Amino acid sequence: MHIPDNYLSPSTCMVMGAAMLPVWTVAVSKVKTEATKAKLPMIGIGAAFSFLLMMFNIPLPGGTTGHAIGGTLLAILLGPYAACIAITVTLFIQALLFGDGGILSFAANSFNMAFIASFLGYFIYKFIKDRAKTAKGEYLGIIVGSYVGLNMAALATAIEFGIQPLLFTNAEGLPLYSPYPLSVSIPAMMIPHLLVAGVIEALFTVAIYSFIKKVSPDTIFEGTKHKIHPIYGLLVTLICLTPLGLLASGTAWGEWGADEIKNVVSGGKQLGFTPAGMKNGFSFNAILPDYSVTGLPEIAGYLLSAVAGVAIMMIIFKIISSFHKKNSREIPKS
Amino acid sequence: MPDWLVKNQPYSPPPDKDQFINKSILSILRILSKLKSQSGYQMDKFQVNAALKVAFTFLLVILLSLSTSYTFILVVDVYLLVVLSLMEGKEIVKILSVSLAMAIFTFMILLPNVVLGNTYTSMMITLKVLSTLIAVNILSHSTRWHSITSALRRFGVPNIFILVLDITIKYISMLGDFSLNMLYSLKLRSVGRNNNKYASMAGISGTMFIKSKEMAEDMYAAMECRGFTGEYTVHNKWKWSMADLLYILKTVAIITAFLYWGRI
Repeated sequence: MHIPDNYLSPSTCMVMGAAMLPVWTVAVSKVKTEATKAKLPMIGIGAAFSFLLMMFNIPLPGGTTGHAIGGTLLAILLGPYAACIAITVTLFIQALLFGDGGILSFAANSFNMAFIASFLGYFIYKFIKDRAKTAKGEYLGIIVGSYVGLNMAALATAIEFGIQPLLFTNAEGLPLYSPYPLSVSIPAMMIPHLLVAGVIEALFTVAIYSFIKKVSPDTIFEGTKHKIHPIYGLLVTLICLTPLGLLASGTAWGEWGADEIKNVVSGGKQLGFTPAGMKNGFSFNAILPDYSVTGLPEIAGYLLSAVAGVAIMMIIFKIISSFHKKNSREIPKS
Repeated sequence: MPDWLVKNQPYSPPPDKDQFINKSILSILRILSKLKSQSGYQMDKFQVNAALKVAFTFLLVILLSLSTSYTFILVVDVYLLVVLSLMEGKEIVKILSVSLAMAIFTFMILLPNVVLGNTYTSMMITLKVLSTLIAVNILSHSTRWHSITSALRRFGVPNIFILVLDITIKYISMLGDFSLNMLYSLKLRSVGRNNNKYASMAGISGTMFIKSKEMAEDMYAAMECRGFTGEYTVHNKWKWSMADLLYILKTVAIITAFLYWGRI
């Protein structure tokens, strides 16, 4: 899953870097406050562990071998923030010192493996574990978390590959970077991951976790006490999927602009005219019109809009819930 | 002496699949040998500052990725070949084998695209992948890794990150040695057919984690005893040398070449 340089355009890499910067900043500050200085060496040694884990080959049917990434496993063992830093450091060493994975695509690789695989995997694990309080529930959480985490990371990689020919072509219309569209890159990445790599990841994660739990249960990361709201997992998934929106070339049904409505086909006939009310009506100039920002490539604008949209939704929800709390506090008084 | 001890009993163990143990051993050995060869590196004859080298390599990678000019990429390739030719034979083999393997892999992936008639882009991407990998591998093979990490400090990478990076590089070799011994013993003790090997593999990784946790605690104790407060400073002073100036001239030359041929 390590993307080498020149498969992605530099601007995609910059967008991924912009997406990872806040993640890294939050992870570093979380680790600094959550963990004492005593945990600092643990992150480094955890990174060495994750590096070596990728060296362990597991037999596959047909005589070949494969290896696990260990994103979800590390997140369960060290906590998601420490795991994020540990995997980032591993990827960095692989890119700069071993030539495995690109330097420019380092941020994209971190996004896929250090962010999606570890955070999403961990949240799914925690979500299931908190609801099914038995040991079986915990193992189910690990299996589902590591399987989905890895596959979502693979999907993100496939999307990053697949949007290249849509966005970056030379004057003759030939792709400059990875030439395969989403219709090729998604099946090519997802089929082996869904069938093989995800299964390996899940098996390996469960096997190592159960071993550590049996031998030395107190070394495992405790995690926060409060339950994780399912909405966060959904949000992460949705942000990852936003570039897919670029695929749909048409406008969403019912969201036509004034210039588009005359081409709308209804009952086999084109509408053929623009309703006067729409033509001369109120036109709202959004700050991010059509999810693109001037001066930024379309994909960057799209991602930026996604992040902004999520942030705005969260702000609205928080404001609503703060009113709700105020009201519910007032009721017992009266 | 009992009878059965004197008798000759041939034992031929049933064939067993342990390819995955061999592969794991080999891949860990490869990493360890690369780490060990690090300590043997002679400092560069021309002693160019590591920070300059890192900055130049990053710049080269970016320019290569941005460029759409075949000429520019060829110019860079020629430059890289010149640098390669000045290195030792052993190093050249290592650098070329890693880089060519990845470039061939890239070409295989792009093959359907060539069949579709898009030869130019496919060749460009393959060449770019090859040149980038050679550039990065030259950096990693000609510079000591601890000078690369301390060079990153100059670029404003946070202390905590560099400390973690240094610890990681050291402990990859320590944990690697440790797990290598476990893999050897798993291989030696699996006489005949051993169906428990898969479970042992998880045991080895799990033990590696527990061991790493212990090592981390020991390391922190040792650091604290020596007065570690969480700060990590770089001490070596920057001294300009003739080689540095030449290196900067080279950088300027590459940028000029990019502007001349490699229009974005």
